[in-house]
Amino acid sequence: MAAKRRTEEMRDRVVLGEFGVRNVHTTDFPGNYSGYDDAWDQRRFEEAFRVDVIREDGDALEFDMVGIDAAIANAFRRILLAEVPTMAVEKVFVYNNTSIVQDEILAHRLGLIPIRADPRLFEYRNQGDEEGTEIDTLQFQLKIKCSRNPQAAKESSDPNELYFNHKGKDHAKFSPVATASYRLLPDITLLQPVEDEAAEMLQKCFSPGVIEIQNIKGKKVARVANARLDTFSREVFRHESLKNVVRLARVRSHYIFSVESTGILPPDVLVSEAIKILMGKCQRFLNELDSVPME
Amino acid sequence: MGTASMNPDVEFCGYCITHPAESKTNFRIQTRGALPAVEPFRKGLNDLMDVCQHVLNTFERSMKEYRAQREEQMQ
Repeated sequence: MAAKRRTEEMRDRVVLGEFGVRNVHTTDFPGNYSGYDDAWDQRRFEEAFRVDVIREDGDALEFDMVGIDAAIANAFRRILLAEVPTMAVEKVFVYNNTSIVQDEILAHRLGLIPIRADPRLFEYRNQGDEEGTEIDTLQFQLKIKCSRNPQAAKESSDPNELYFNHKGKDHAKFSPVATASYRLLPDITLLQPVEDEAAEMLQKCFSPGVIEIQNIKGKKVARVANARLDTFSREVFRHESLKNVVRLARVRSHYIFSVESTGILPPDVLVSEAIKILMGKCQRFLNELDSVPME
Repeated sequence: MGTASMNPDVEFCGYCITHPAESKTNFRIQTRGALPAVEPFRKGLNDLMDVCQHVLNTFERSMKEYRAQREEQMQ
């Protein structure tokens, strides 16, 4: 019975010990565990997989993906950061810059401004094309004069800007997300009942809301209310009396994604685009496999 | 690589990047027995496509449900 529990723990939990993290790598390959059939089964995956949207506020989206492997969740995160294309300022033609800001600094800063143009409506520019066409370029004009204080020096910059369609891996200015990150769902288990003062101390060791104290038959008993809120400061390990009472772990296949967009595309569109890009890559690979003759 | 390694016929499956400056990846699949190695590679790619398609459908469905629920709560 205990052995089965330990195998389950090895398979689905990443355990945070006092001095290190255990069970980090995925081990459920076919043949590794006797008694488990781990061969890939699409139907089994579909039954176990689910997506729960937790919150959507304008540009920020928080959702859970349950039942997926670390490699694929990480692939989505990386694609969101570097491979979803956006439009950003690439070439700045400066005609008259009499301000204190140098040309290249101004150009760099203009490049970082997110452009509210749907990148899916544009195409990539072909290699070797010098002149922009309307399918791949946006052209803007910037004419400013600073004349607030007549005593101070006047600035005027008239740059003519071109906006190109590129991906985050060409330059970070092309990244469509303010950030995209995920964390694993925390799993806190109390191995023994904790009462009275120990319960109070335990509550202080975790983020507010994680441990709640209930009054059972006059005694204060601690209970794990909401493990999801915890940020794992591991304060428990600093107290000798509480160290062995709690098991800190994370659920290996439950990812809490947090995507914040820069405003170009809404975050749910970004996630959908990222998934489609991964599919596109697979398709390109398959086409390559089919076109190259194998011996 | 994730879905290819979940295949019981695959004896070895791994990748390494030759040098961070050049975008080349060495990918190796070895099968046990007489099975041609292209097969689990192809199957892995197809499975990954199916996984992504399913993830996409589930995600879009969840977004729709969440928004519908929010509409109801606002009314």
